Amino acid sequence: MKMLWQLITANVKDMMRDRMSMFWFLAFPIVFILLFGAVFSGNGADQSYSIGLAVEDKGPVGSGIRKAFESVPSFELHQGSKETELAALKQGKRILVVEVPGKVQATIATGKPAEISIYYDPGRAATAQALISAAREILSEVERRATGAPRLFIAKPIKVEVKQLKNIDYLLPGILAMALMQLGLFGALGFVSLRERKIIRRLGATPVPKSLVLWSEILVRLAMAVVQAVSIVLIGHLAYGVTVVGNWPAVLGLVLLGALVFISLGYFLISFTKTSESAQGLIQLVQFPMMFLSGIFFPIEIMPRFLKPVIRAIPLSYLGDALRNVMVGLPTAFGIWTDVAILGGWLLVTAILAVRLFRWE
Amino acid sequence: MDSITVSDLRKYYGQVKAVDGLSFSVPQGEIFGMLGPNGAGKTTTVETIVGLIGRDGGDVAVMGIDPAQDPVGVKARIGVQLQTAAMFPRLAVREVIRLYASFYPKNVDEDEVIALVGLQEKANVQTRNLSGGQLQRLSVALAIVSDGDIIFLDEPTTGLDPQARRGLWDVINRMRGRGKTIFLTTHYMDEAEKLCDRVAVVDRGKIIALDSPQALINENFQEKAIEFNQPALTADRNLSGLPGVTMVQVEDDLIILYSSEVPKTIAALMEYSQKAGATVDDLTVRTATLEDVFLKLTGRRIRE
Ligand SMILES: Nc1ncnc2c1ncn2[C@@H]1O[C@H](COP(=O)(O)OP(=O)(O)O)[C@@H](O)[C@H]1O
Ligand SMILES: [Mg+2]
Repeated sequence: MKMLWQLITANVKDMMRDRMSMFWFLAFPIVFILLFGAVFSGNGADQSYSIGLAVEDKGPVGSGIRKAFESVPSFELHQGSKETELAALKQGKRILVVEVPGKVQATIATGKPAEISIYYDPGRAATAQALISAAREILSEVERRATGAPRLFIAKPIKVEVKQLKNIDYLLPGILAMALMQLGLFGALGFVSLRERKIIRRLGATPVPKSLVLWSEILVRLAMAVVQAVSIVLIGHLAYGVTVVGNWPAVLGLVLLGALVFISLGYFLISFTKTSESAQGLIQLVQFPMMFLSGIFFPIEIMPRFLKPVIRAIPLSYLGDALRNVMVGLPTAFGIWTDVAILGGWLLVTAILAVRLFRWE
Repeated sequence: MDSITVSDLRKYYGQVKAVDGLSFSVPQGEIFGMLGPNGAGKTTTVETIVGLIGRDGGDVAVMGIDPAQDPVGVKARIGVQLQTAAMFPRLAVREVIRLYASFYPKNVDEDEVIALVGLQEKANVQTRNLSGGQLQRLSVALAIVSDGDIIFLDEPTTGLDPQARRGLWDVINRMRGRGKTIFLTTHYMDEAEKLCDRVAVVDRGKIIALDSPQALINENFQEKAIEFNQPALTADRNLSGLPGVTMVQVEDDLIILYSSEVPKTIAALMEYSQKAGATVDDLTVRTATLEDVFLKLTGRRIRE
């Protein structure tokens, strides 16, 4: 226990003092999320309904209409003169401008209907149409109150929470999956360096079991995986308001399982190489295609058909799929238990092979 | 009980007989040296005794334990310094020593170890910023921190300047003062001569002589060595017939006459060289050393 703890301490210190790697470990999720977030954001962003209201009538009708519009929370209401509001409409700053002319009160008094003009931006016709109906509804409500006509229907709006899914919701779990992959695969290079420097051989002359060196590395990587996951979720939330809908233990479990799969794959890969350079090359060769073919950046459904078998072979596909489901509630492509089972299978097979083929020196 | 007993130890790498039938034992508290040129099999011997690599034949007992049967049992009771080991580059001297201390059931206090090898000023420096000599001393510190009964040191002073070497000799003597057995390899004659209680001279995987340095010299030479440079005489067979000369060794242009009657030999040499038209105008006389023993036994110098 004391040995394991000392090995972990040594490992963490050695890593923290490697400023370059530490920087990338910490900066990676930030850079990635901000970069991809900037590229893919824009669609589906919350729209605010910017409405201009020009009330020239000073009487009770004018103020009644004003109060009615002010009471709608989803309107971003701007009040001003007809000229300023129409100018704003022309600049695209309003979707709709409602004009209540000064002679409304007088017209109503004569018994004729008063005209209320609604100007709209035809470029945003769909939204404008919906808003025009809303404005009509508001006006008829004002009218009903004024005339005292009885109500026939009461429309009762009931709130249903609908999660608006954005591209970043799709991307964030994928970025986490990719981060876990890189942490696991490139983490194995630490061992290659110990092996290359004959530090492992030197440890072989002490009573410490060599496997303890590996366990210390694995535990440190798992801790880093959790740190990475927390920072990615946090940045996603702060920068783009992505919220995790799934349950936390499930997310944590998946993060640890995913990290273990790639740690194990990393140790398996380095048994084929001697030097740091060749290990680095081999890992790059494996991780690069995985990154693009696993559907972490594009939905698997839109990938060309001939790539589907490859996609289905890659563990990263399943980790991304499962994380999207558990983190942001996207439907899975394979089924969550299939994902978990296949990841477990990969872990088992790579772990057995890594143990079989492992090169201590 | 002897600390180490080795009999007929063998280790082959294909055709190469790295260790070819070594037998010796080292009593407790002794500084035992293995002296031999590069490739003689010193490192292989150390690594088989400490259980780092397996052997192809023979018996080994370290504190009565066979490293092939119970490697961890052996490793827990010894300290080892390896020739090729590097350190965790970003750990400080103190941190590496603390790490290694944690591997052993009992261990020497880290400050004491640091002071013993004279690295007090470097205690908080990362190992990647140490000089070669400082790394070497750290490497020895990692053998000492185990507080093992036997300390194995594989060429601990190679690459050190003379002052640092002498510093390490002090450390080794102090370890002996604590009752430790020291097993050390070297290719420095003077190191073996000054430091070791007994020396095994090895060449090509075999022990060619084993005794205390003085006994080795006395067994092989009652004579003194007369050295001079004279290219014209290197192939001259008459030199061995000069009065008092018991043996002649030639090394490039250097001629060494081993003589039991130095004044007579020198007088005859002067006369002879004059006649041969190849005057000897600069010669040195010295007592025989282990280097001479090695040269006599193998016909080669240790360092080529
Ligand atoms: N792992 C190995 N594989 C093949 N040959 C080796 C190996 N280790 C040592 N040798 C050979 O064994 C001989 C003894 O080497 P070594 O024990 O390192 O000598 P020394 O330490 O005295 O310089 C050398 O000829 C060396 O080339
Ligand atoms: Mg050697």
